[in-house]
Amino acid sequence: MGKLHSLTLKIHRYDPEQKKSWVQEYEINVGGMLRFTDVLRKINQEQDSGLAWISSCEHAQCGSCGVVVNGKPLLMCELLVQNAVKQFKTTTFTLKPLSIAPVLRDLIVDLEKAYERVHKAKPYVIKLADPSPEGDEHRIPPRIMEHYVEATRCINCFCCAEACISSHRHFLGPNAMLVNIVRLFDPKEAAKKERLDILYADNGVARCHTSEACSFVCPKQIDVAHFIALAKEGKF
Amino acid sequence: MNKLRINSVLKKDVLIIGAGGAGLRTAIEILAGKPDTTIVAVTKVSSPQKSHTTTAQGGFAAVNPKDPIDKPIYHMFDTWKGSDCSSDQNVIKKIIDSAWEQTLWLDNHGLHFTRNEEGRFSKRTFGGHTLEFGEGPSAFRAVFEADRTGKGIMDTVWGESLKGNVSFINQSIATELIFKDERCIGAIIFEETRGQFTAVLAKATVISTGGLGQVYKITTNCRQNTGDGLALVLREGLPVMDLEAVQFHPTGIVGPGILASEALRGEGGFLLNKNMERFMEQYAPKMKDLAPRDMVSRSIETEIREGRGVINPDHNLPHVWLDIRHLSDYVHDVKLQEITGFFKKFAGIDPKKNLCPVRPTVHYQMGGIPTNEFGEAQKSADKIVPGLYAVGESASASFQGFNRLGTNSLLELFTMGKFVGDRVSEYLRDADDPGDLPKDAGEKSISLFSKYFEAKGSENLWKIREIMRELMTEKVGVFRNEKLLNEAINQLMDLKERSIHIKLSSSSLIMNQELVDRWELDNLLDVATVIAHGAINRKESRGAHTREDYPERKMDYNYHTLAYMQEYGKVALGKRSIDMSIFEEKNRDYKHFDFVARKY
Repeated sequence: MGKLHSLTLKIHRYDPEQKKSWVQEYEINVGGMLRFTDVLRKINQEQDSGLAWISSCEHAQCGSCGVVVNGKPLLMCELLVQNAVKQFKTTTFTLKPLSIAPVLRDLIVDLEKAYERVHKAKPYVIKLADPSPEGDEHRIPPRIMEHYVEATRCINCFCCAEACISSHRHFLGPNAMLVNIVRLFDPKEAAKKERLDILYADNGVARCHTSEACSFVCPKQIDVAHFIALAKEGKF
Repeated sequence: MNKLRINSVLKKDVLIIGAGGAGLRTAIEILAGKPDTTIVAVTKVSSPQKSHTTTAQGGFAAVNPKDPIDKPIYHMFDTWKGSDCSSDQNVIKKIIDSAWEQTLWLDNHGLHFTRNEEGRFSKRTFGGHTLEFGEGPSAFRAVFEADRTGKGIMDTVWGESLKGNVSFINQSIATELIFKDERCIGAIIFEETRGQFTAVLAKATVISTGGLGQVYKITTNCRQNTGDGLALVLREGLPVMDLEAVQFHPTGIVGPGILASEALRGEGGFLLNKNMERFMEQYAPKMKDLAPRDMVSRSIETEIREGRGVINPDHNLPHVWLDIRHLSDYVHDVKLQEITGFFKKFAGIDPKKNLCPVRPTVHYQMGGIPTNEFGEAQKSADKIVPGLYAVGESASASFQGFNRLGTNSLLELFTMGKFVGDRVSEYLRDADDPGDLPKDAGEKSISLFSKYFEAKGSENLWKIREIMRELMTEKVGVFRNEKLLNEAINQLMDLKERSIHIKLSSSSLIMNQELVDRWELDNLLDVATVIAHGAINRKESRGAHTREDYPERKMDYNYHTLAYMQEYGKVALGKRSIDMSIFEEKNRDYKHFDFVARKY
């Protein structure tokens, strides 16, 4: 085994039945290669089976396990203990649920609520430009796709929305913008006017203050701010 | 404690349990035929976009019928041979004949396929895919979206279902099917976020709950893949099929078991043992590193057993190396961007400079709820359950037989999704309204949950789960034998007994993860037991099911295993024959569709 780390976790908890919030401290010794999801599982197994959190794929492809660790929104599944200790220069970590949606219990927020904003950006082809040639695929040169394919990697973990300095109430959010921007680039999408309406609506890109916090925290390393900047300029 | 009861009743035309790629493709097809059909889809995750489909990497096989080199019949042969001659040929034909058309459907609904310089689909090769009935070279047959093809499919079907107004009940589980006479008329759903039971009455019910990877210690499967749909039908006295056929993917990233796609080898990567030997040459002289997954997994395990594996002191897991250092920066940075990122993030390794540690990891169940080629769930080899359908990894039609070729799972889920959708649409035309909720509906769920809450004792839920996962890995893993399987069956009986004494720490119903984990443990134990019984009964080696004590495939076992288990541990086994229709039609190439020898 590699080196063991003695961690102190301060976890923000919430009980929906008592409507009670508190911070609970856990001390735990863990190997450096464990992910934070593994650490919480270990707490469930050894100390507190009632501590609630969620995850799914646990390799940063689904975006279910976003939380705020020492102020930074991130995916717990890809935060290795040894990296966390190095990155945050401490062995004490405060874990808070994301603030982009109401908390259901402990670290679990109502992602369904958060997703409503993504739905407003219409995550699909609204109207197909032209069907593919009979029996064949669309011809789309790679250099056209290069403009937007990076933005399709977004997994809607809402880390960018959490970090964004614009208000959640007024801005659909960086990830919702990406959904829209992808289809503005995509030659298969015919409904460009509707897309532009979403983009330039009152809750659209004009709300962005260009803090670039989205790019800074994106677990997929997508340069979200770059796409939003392109959108502001109308460069599609 | 809160009183448990059915809190509400919901009526819809169609209930879909499991909103991944297969379930939602089914929904979209139903809506394409009749847009005002009311559909509700239940998912365990917080949004359908989080489903496990989204983690599939490499691509899916689809032969353009106009292709001058490749032919659908070659793909059919590869699938048949890859399955170790135990998939159903009517299903093979149906799926592969529609593969190209359904690929274009995805293209027309917005999937961002990776393209070549001409702007057409790029293609890559995968294990076991060949030209000219295995006589020719590897076939470049798989289309893809970089190394996130599953995400492309998930985003497409999720988007289309939003467009079509499918309603979703997220973060919920199906705990019981509802029947009227013989017909399935819906299910009892436990909504975790509200802590309530809802009875959904539907004319048709589709199960698409995905896999069972969490039965094993190291798996590529997400946390939600606990065999729920299989346990659900087992408890209703319905069968599951071929559960002993569990696929071990040869290249899981050592440690977390995250999938490192076969595309890494398709793009030119190869395996090395401790002595830096390309050992696959010994086991599959022709296909080498691109032999089918079961063979590569066995080869890696054999290398490790014979002392040619590598041990990393950090986690003590023996493994071999995957070498992709020689691949171009374009492949590393663009075509395989996600996976090379996983090595960096989770193993601290730069695959451009370092060898990558990999070992077999549980990846896929070939078996599932038995269905016919239309996805109608079966209660026996020749009888269906009216109103009940199954599709995707939780179903077995059977396209995969005893070993699935890489790229054939995504292909199966959206083609079968379409076919099941068509069948459901047909059924809905004359289907009666399910009427009122039957009096006894929900009783089973309420009694099960009450038992969980009332249990007293000092057993630890997580410990039992870990013991199960370890014993399944050691005794019902890549290599199996009579002695180990017997031990496994006995231990599983013991674990079930111990599970009765698990006390939950909270009696809350709202977002109580421990409660769901407790329910999952029962599902896991159920499917684990059925896997072990299927494996001990099948005294032969076929595809992913390898018996050290019976190393050859046997004609006597040319059938699918049907397994019933209404009471824990009491497994009744039956048979379903293998469809040989391509062979029996006696067309030009029929001889390749006999029980052919499996050499690569």
